Amino acid sequence: MAARPKFFTTNKRGENYELKAELNSEYRDKRKDGVKKVIANMTVGKDVSGLFPDVLKNMQTDDLELKKLVYLYLMNYAKSQPELVILAVNTFVKDTDDSNPLIRALAIRTMGCLRVEKIIDYLTEPLRKCLKDENPYVRKTAALCVAKLHDLNPALAIDNGFIEIVQEMVSDTNPMVVSNAVIALSEIHEASDTKDIFVINDTTLQKLLHALNECTEWGQIAILSALSEYRPSDVKEAEHICERVLPRLQHANASVVLSAIKVLMIYMRTARDQTFQKNLVRKMAPPLVTLLSSPAPEVQYVALRNINLILQKRPDVLNNEMRVFFCRYNDPPYVKLEKLEILMRLCSEKNVEQLLSELKEYASEVDVDFVKKSVRAIGRCAIKIEGASERCINVLLDLINTGINYVVQEAVVVIKDIFRKYPHQYEGIIPTLCENIEAIDEPEARGSLIWMIGEYAERIGNADELLEHFFDNFREENVQVQLQIITATVKLFLKKPSENQEIVQKVLQTSTSQSDSPDIRDRAYIYWRLLSTDPQAAKAVVLTEKPPIKGEGEELKGRLLDELIENIGTIASVYHKPPETFIGGKKYSADEVNKRPLE
Amino acid sequence: MLNSLFVLNAQGKIIIEKHWRGVIPRQVVDKFNDQVVTFLAKPVYTPYTGRSLEDGSATSAQQRNGDLLVQRFALEDLPPVIDTPHYQFLNVQRGGLIWLSPVESEVEPQMIFEFIHRIIDVVQEYLGDVSEMSIRDNFVIVYQLLEEMMDYGYPLTTETSVLKEVIPPPTVYNKVYSTVSAAAGVGQKLPSGTLSSIPWRKLGIKYANNEIYFDVVEEVDAILEKNGSIISAEAHGTLNVNCRLSGMPDLSMTFINPRVIDDVSFHPCVRYQKYVSDKVLSFVPPDGHFKLMTYRVNLPSGQLIPLQVRPQVTATKNGGKFEVVVTPRPTEGKAIEHLVVTISMGKACTGVNASCSMGDHFYDSTNKTLRWEVGKVDIRGRPPTLSGSFSSSVDALDNPLSITLGFQINMYAVSGLKVDSLKIYHEGYKPYKGVRSLTRAGKFQVRT
Repeated sequence: MAARPKFFTTNKRGENYELKAELNSEYRDKRKDGVKKVIANMTVGKDVSGLFPDVLKNMQTDDLELKKLVYLYLMNYAKSQPELVILAVNTFVKDTDDSNPLIRALAIRTMGCLRVEKIIDYLTEPLRKCLKDENPYVRKTAALCVAKLHDLNPALAIDNGFIEIVQEMVSDTNPMVVSNAVIALSEIHEASDTKDIFVINDTTLQKLLHALNECTEWGQIAILSALSEYRPSDVKEAEHICERVLPRLQHANASVVLSAIKVLMIYMRTARDQTFQKNLVRKMAPPLVTLLSSPAPEVQYVALRNINLILQKRPDVLNNEMRVFFCRYNDPPYVKLEKLEILMRLCSEKNVEQLLSELKEYASEVDVDFVKKSVRAIGRCAIKIEGASERCINVLLDLINTGINYVVQEAVVVIKDIFRKYPHQYEGIIPTLCENIEAIDEPEARGSLIWMIGEYAERIGNADELLEHFFDNFREENVQVQLQIITATVKLFLKKPSENQEIVQKVLQTSTSQSDSPDIRDRAYIYWRLLSTDPQAAKAVVLTEKPPIKGEGEELKGRLLDELIENIGTIASVYHKPPETFIGGKKYSADEVNKRPLE
Repeated sequence: MLNSLFVLNAQGKIIIEKHWRGVIPRQVVDKFNDQVVTFLAKPVYTPYTGRSLEDGSATSAQQRNGDLLVQRFALEDLPPVIDTPHYQFLNVQRGGLIWLSPVESEVEPQMIFEFIHRIIDVVQEYLGDVSEMSIRDNFVIVYQLLEEMMDYGYPLTTETSVLKEVIPPPTVYNKVYSTVSAAAGVGQKLPSGTLSSIPWRKLGIKYANNEIYFDVVEEVDAILEKNGSIISAEAHGTLNVNCRLSGMPDLSMTFINPRVIDDVSFHPCVRYQKYVSDKVLSFVPPDGHFKLMTYRVNLPSGQLIPLQVRPQVTATKNGGKFEVVVTPRPTEGKAIEHLVVTISMGKACTGVNASCSMGDHFYDSTNKTLRWEVGKVDIRGRPPTLSGSFSSSVDALDNPLSITLGFQINMYAVSGLKVDSLKIYHEGYKPYKGVRSLTRAGKFQVRT
């Protein structure tokens, strides 16, 4: 314990007593140190509420720092000691009349944060005065205080006409006041039932657009969020707003950029002109790429999740930017997997060659989960781009030749999908796959291999031997694999009935009589009855044409995608789920619904 | 909108907490810690052993899998947004601390992350270091900062220069200063920055010597293929300014070749329209140190990368051999300095034996990395080479090496961006002007 925190050095027994003495010292410095010690104790969760009256004595001072410290203390204990806070009210009210605007603002800001029912009545008059203060710093602080008041007592905020005053403040000459008024109104609007608190009209729109250029970065975010709720009346207006928002894309704050992109994506729908849209999309690309160059992985992650959404709406945004999504070995796993998803979306005839060599590289990394997803991605390329399927197969075969266990398994699963998509094209590689039969032990990979054997039984000379091999361990296999064995054997029998009577008999016999799983027994019984009553019908059922498969990438559809686009930059856009599914204690979840009648 | 912020140490213990709109009980941190524990315990990949679990008899396939390690996540792999019932956990990890914000309503995570980064930067500037120790030693200052930087969950004052007028940083000088001013009963002035029509600059600044310095710092992010070809390469530039000018100067800066810039973001002081139309940076600068602009430049051809790296790895029995050759490229006659090559040998590495033609090398057996400090490289000399062998508990092919590079080149901008002129209006004096450039490695990776 070389360097003990210096505010905790007092001994245990007389700690509060000593602090008390210090707080009541005749020297200002000593009192200030005392308050600092109290606050240090408070921040680590020690109870120093007993010192309330002694701390309060220090509130009336012209030392701003000391005043702030006392305010900090008050905010923390106001909730538990409301009667005592009343003692402080007079000083607060007096401070809102101070000649120094900083003290006026500080007093009104702190009063709003006390969150004590009893002092609210004392708040209204000072607040009314501060809302009309000559100093913009005080006005902007007061605007936010109205939101605080509304949260505690909506009726009081409405009856005193505060909301109207804040509505007028949107037209203030100072951009910082405008942005805080927007924050306050948006918040009250959200909480109100009527949803008529903050409705943007022509005049306010002009004020907002004007303030957007002038206010702080955080104010810009608030104004952009407000703009994203507004629906422009015509094409011309939409285009005008887009023009005014465009410069925000050049901001250093990633959140401003993302908010601006949200507004552009929403307004683009109204501005129907194709060339205008193209132009916007072109201008959005570089800032989106720049978001990724942030050194902070969390910023990259949110950006990637949103880019994923934007690409589903506007696949052409980042056409020539595939390289920036290439993974580095030391990217965190959540960034890598997101990049992989986006690479899949950007994959096209033109760049598939480069992408494949990149994916092959990833398949040799150390992170197993990422390796498996990369192998899957190769299969998705093949399914997405027909012209590349052969190259994909070759890459997969190269990977199988490395003999790395989990790579081989994943490659087999993926090749099955390629077979589904392009039947009767690549069955020449089945022998190569079968060479690895010993290494394949994961249920999905085993199942895939057996499925391929069954599907192409007529071309594989030793299909019966292979299935026999799998059947040897039948009872120890995973259920999924067992089902595949049954189906594959039946396919084999239907294709080469003469020589395979015995094996099909054996498989069906074992699965109906010795399996614990109803699924296995049922499937075996159905095949058995089909085969014994009408072999032609069995052929029609088992060897039927399969529906084509699509790439496994998630596609968000229509309304949900539009809703998420309107929520760009929010948590919803990170989860790709509408906000009501995770906000408000998940009120739509089954648990909540069940609990409700009990309450 | 940010409700609460908890700063945790790596063990998940609360160091400091701050609530801006009603208190979220501390127990919420336990819920977060539960999530972390579950995340760390969850295997990323376990070899499949399902078939023989019941009877305990191992199959041949399982035995082969036995030597494959069960992989688990590390703390820094934790996703930044975590979905749990009731709370969404937004977290930022920096220097062994977790900055956690549990939220119950819909928010903009990017804004919260940006804000948390801003807090970290401010604390860094105030305390010189952001760690559990430095925060504990300066509880009150950090708490005051948290209070001042946000009001009711919305960012309030986030500029360090303005904050310093309200909350004095913990220096000896300031301690004396604040005691003196407090003793004299001088009420502190209103921070002018919050009120001026140009919020980033206060009125009445005066210097005896007027000077302004520009620092162009470019970081090269690149991925190179083992044969030396470039997979992706970009330079991320920052134009840092140290401005010590009196009054309200209006500056106008031009570049010789602004076309190289692919994307750019500016400090709010820059007049954006002027840049769009004339490619001129026109601005009234803030006082002191600030970041005027950041930009991104694509480096499409290999010509522009200052170094060529060729690694060769061959697998042998129980390990492999490697050789890394670094060839410098012409950089306008400026030397490459502080060259450091770090080779990550893979988790299964059991030992390394290496020798180098220049500099020193060290093997860190806990992190399994080989660090080769080359130093200054002269383009005329023989290219520095590191070679050696390593032993590994798995097949070398299963466990590729990865190489990262660090270097620095003074007075050189890899993008080729050059300042042409700087003019000053509205003020009569002639300031001293200086421009420096520096290129260094960012995320510079070579594959093997």
